[in-house]
Amino acid sequence: MVLDAPPEKRRRLPFSPWHLLLAPVAAIMIVPLIWMAVLSLETKTEASSFPPVFLPSGLHFSNYSSAWHAVPFGDFFLNSAAYSLATVAGNLLFCSLAAYAFARIRFFGRNVLFVVLLATLMVPFQVLLIPTFLIVKKLGMVDSVGGLIVPNLCTAFGIFMLRQFFRTLPIELEEAARLDGTSRLGILFKIVLPLSLPALATLAIIQFMWSWNDFLWPLIIINTDTHAPLQLGLSTLQGSHNTEWNLLMAGTVMSQIPMLAVFLLAQRWFIRSIAFTGIK
Amino acid sequence: MKRACLFVVLVGALLAVGCGGSSSGGSSSGGSSSKSGATKGGHVSISIWEGYTQGESVAIKKLAAQFNASHPGITVTPQFYGNSDYALQKVLAAIAGGKPPDISYLYGSNAANIAASGKLVSLNKYVSDPSFGWNHFYKVEREVATVNGKVTGIPALVDNLALVYNKKLFAQAGIAPPTANWTWNDFENAALKLTDPSKKQFGWAYVNDASEDTVWRFWAMLWQAGGQILSADNKQAAFNSPAGLKALTLLQQLVAHKSIYLDNGSDNYVNVFNAGHIGMLWTGPWDLQQITASKVSYGVQILPAAENHQTISGPDDWVMFDNGSARVAASWTFLKWLTSPKIDLEWGLMTGDLPIRDDVAQQPGYKQFARKYPGIDLWVKNLDNATQARPVLTTYPKISTVVGQAVQSVLLGKTQPQQALNQASQQVNGILSAPS
Amino acid sequence: MADRHRPPAIKRLIGSEHFAGWAFVAPAVILIAIFFLIPIGWSLLISLQANNLIAPAHYVGLANYKALTKDPAFRSAIGHTLLYTVIFVPVSVGGALALAVALNRKIRGIRFYRLAVFVPLVTSTVATGLVFLWLLDPTFGFVNYLLHAVGLPQQQFLQDPNEALYCIVAMTVWGWLGFDVIVYLAALQGVPEELLEAAEIDGASKWSRFRSIVVPLLGPATLFLVVWSTINALQLFDEIYVTTRGGPLGSTTVIVYYLYQQAFQFFNGGYGSAIAYVLFLAILVVTLVQLWVGRRRVYYTS
Repeated sequence: MVLDAPPEKRRRLPFSPWHLLLAPVAAIMIVPLIWMAVLSLETKTEASSFPPVFLPSGLHFSNYSSAWHAVPFGDFFLNSAAYSLATVAGNLLFCSLAAYAFARIRFFGRNVLFVVLLATLMVPFQVLLIPTFLIVKKLGMVDSVGGLIVPNLCTAFGIFMLRQFFRTLPIELEEAARLDGTSRLGILFKIVLPLSLPALATLAIIQFMWSWNDFLWPLIIINTDTHAPLQLGLSTLQGSHNTEWNLLMAGTVMSQIPMLAVFLLAQRWFIRSIAFTGIK
Repeated sequence: MKRACLFVVLVGALLAVGCGGSSSGGSSSGGSSSKSGATKGGHVSISIWEGYTQGESVAIKKLAAQFNASHPGITVTPQFYGNSDYALQKVLAAIAGGKPPDISYLYGSNAANIAASGKLVSLNKYVSDPSFGWNHFYKVEREVATVNGKVTGIPALVDNLALVYNKKLFAQAGIAPPTANWTWNDFENAALKLTDPSKKQFGWAYVNDASEDTVWRFWAMLWQAGGQILSADNKQAAFNSPAGLKALTLLQQLVAHKSIYLDNGSDNYVNVFNAGHIGMLWTGPWDLQQITASKVSYGVQILPAAENHQTISGPDDWVMFDNGSARVAASWTFLKWLTSPKIDLEWGLMTGDLPIRDDVAQQPGYKQFARKYPGIDLWVKNLDNATQARPVLTTYPKISTVVGQAVQSVLLGKTQPQQALNQASQQVNGILSAPS
Repeated sequence: MADRHRPPAIKRLIGSEHFAGWAFVAPAVILIAIFFLIPIGWSLLISLQANNLIAPAHYVGLANYKALTKDPAFRSAIGHTLLYTVIFVPVSVGGALALAVALNRKIRGIRFYRLAVFVPLVTSTVATGLVFLWLLDPTFGFVNYLLHAVGLPQQQFLQDPNEALYCIVAMTVWGWLGFDVIVYLAALQGVPEELLEAAEIDGASKWSRFRSIVVPLLGPATLFLVVWSTINALQLFDEIYVTTRGGPLGSTTVIVYYLYQQAFQFFNGGYGSAIAYVLFLAILVVTLVQLWVGRRRVYYTS
């Protein structure tokens, strides 16, 4: 559903009035990104100034290549990509299966199980840190990207969210397919998931972002710097005193770009154009 | 159905890449090889966990490579473990997993508790080796590294607080620059004169996040006024004394006149100083490089005295974990090499950190060090004013929190100094008398 | 049903709903059991110990929990956490709904606006903390500069015990709004055009169409966001850690921050785990209540 301004109303403004709301909000939201971008183009002294310097003396794009070379940036990107893509794929698959069962199948212990899974979201990670580390260590995955991935392959968040979405789908389609003899798995993949692209895209974006931005778990599990994902790697640019803000910001901006790109790409799936709703 | 298969294949492939591709790193990094340590005909690999960034990170890698080249039987691998808070979590996880690193950088605030774990190698027999020169390390370092008679660490970093001032602001206000004979009165008058709210100018800066950074400055003031933190047997709070009151009252007065820039813990004060808005700082060598790089014309002096010019130092240590005799021996070889006068001077030249032993000043090349970091020489000499150390107790972090809140409360104008001291000393006595 | 051979019991079992249900949830349950339930159980054991996370620990039964009931700092932490949650959840979910509706249209630049709303979400907490520390600096911050320009008095913001928690609310709403917005945007795609068109033809105003059609159809998403936001708000930590560290004067010490201090600054691992368990039970109760209310009030199309 996409709402247009009704065409018959005479416009008093040369543009849609929604801009009056959206533009200031957007401005507030992107202030830090602009600020980080400006810092990333300054010299080290300018970047450390307080009050901050907004108009740099020159555009020092060399900060970006310096940041790239100061630490194994290429490795960080690859590790983060593997971590993020694997957790997205895992969550999309396993959470879809589980959410479908919670939404549509009446099985023994369903409600209790749902609450038990949901409960895993309610304990702060600080207390789970050490036990999780010990488990991953038992699996022999310390200091590897696999060790990053496996605890995050499926979380209750995705199950909860997809369950809510699946329940809003009209059940008639699925019932018809069942009568036709389609298996449950078939219904999930041929009917439910195609209708749930917005929800799946949303889950993908969110999970990607969580894995891409993860710092604490990688810190605990990774020792070798070439195995580190991005946020962990970037923290080596951040001294407790005397940080080179211009380099750190250049690195941070570079690390944000893939997430923003993923978001732009995924918009196609979670904002449907009118033409696509003709699925019925 | 096809999409499902695709998913499964994708996940499987990524897992395979993740595990297979990188787990080779997992088995060859020093931390996870077998406990006996000696592998491949006597060659030993040890890992050293540190939180160095930027200049220090470059320095440790360079020195590690230098050591590895000159000691063919040992390979040292530095590994980054985050800043102090996160580092602790990582070290605790490693200890819980039974595979701690061989050497770890340990922040002073965690020293007593980690030492109390009994997992650290006791270094008494190593430091008593005459060729090591344990007595050349500053007294305050040796005190912090010794817990209940056991030497648990080798100094990795030493620093202290000195007075850094903006020469131009002093000239503009018509005040004579600080001397080595300055008293608290001189200091207070200067701070008041340098205060100008219309220009957003402050006389002094103080870190006000109620953390140890807030507390240790207060301890320096307490000692300068002749006070003590705890009683000699460490069973009672001793800071609720005329000396403590004098120190807190000075803070209160200066805050009331808006003379202090209260830093929220992000260490912005040095940036504000570099922008020319603060007259004086009590800070250490870690800020020196930034100040030198700015346009501020600065001077360095020892801290002012109420009764003495004492300063406070915050040593951090290298500690060793027991992963087998071969690795312990190799770790000691590395640490002894790293803290030898010649190598320590190299470290100082690369990083601007103070020498951790007093015989570094006699090395050829020390003058180069003093020239490269203008003013650093004063901090080195100021180490002689660091005559006391903070109590090395497992309860110290709690004490720090209590006192930090008390000082913050005065700085925010919410409590009177005497009341703050009363409350704090009562709580600290409770902490000290609680069964551990 | 017509006459049929009854298949053997095992086939009935495999074909049954129960088996299907469990088969579908099996992979998720296994993964979550290994990586969440086991660690949660482990930390329950730790909460029954006097454990400093390093030396071998010994069991002390419920002593940690008893100590919690007498701990005034814990009570303060609860108060701060509740205050934060009660403001944060309605503001962020309500604000997100408004914003999502605004973003769900085809005007020029809408993709850019949506991207802009998403940006704070991808900004790391450290960077967010730095921006806000600068913006709200009492002397040099931009917000005080604006206040000064319009003649309002300067505020201490994050350095004022009475204001700091509200500043944290603002900071986290700003940081998390995008999350709620994209969930709502996805949910809005499921609102059928025909219903809205039919209502328009019937003469319903935009507002009443919104209130009577869109909002109820967004019920499942709203329930999800309210539950999720509450679970998260009650576990607030990162933003506190990078800005106020629980201060000034403990005014922003929330439960998880207090837990962190106990476990990793004071080495009271057992006490920290006990705090986590009390928090967990509280969140569980609150969530169950929300789900129960949701069951009665939320409309699912099926």
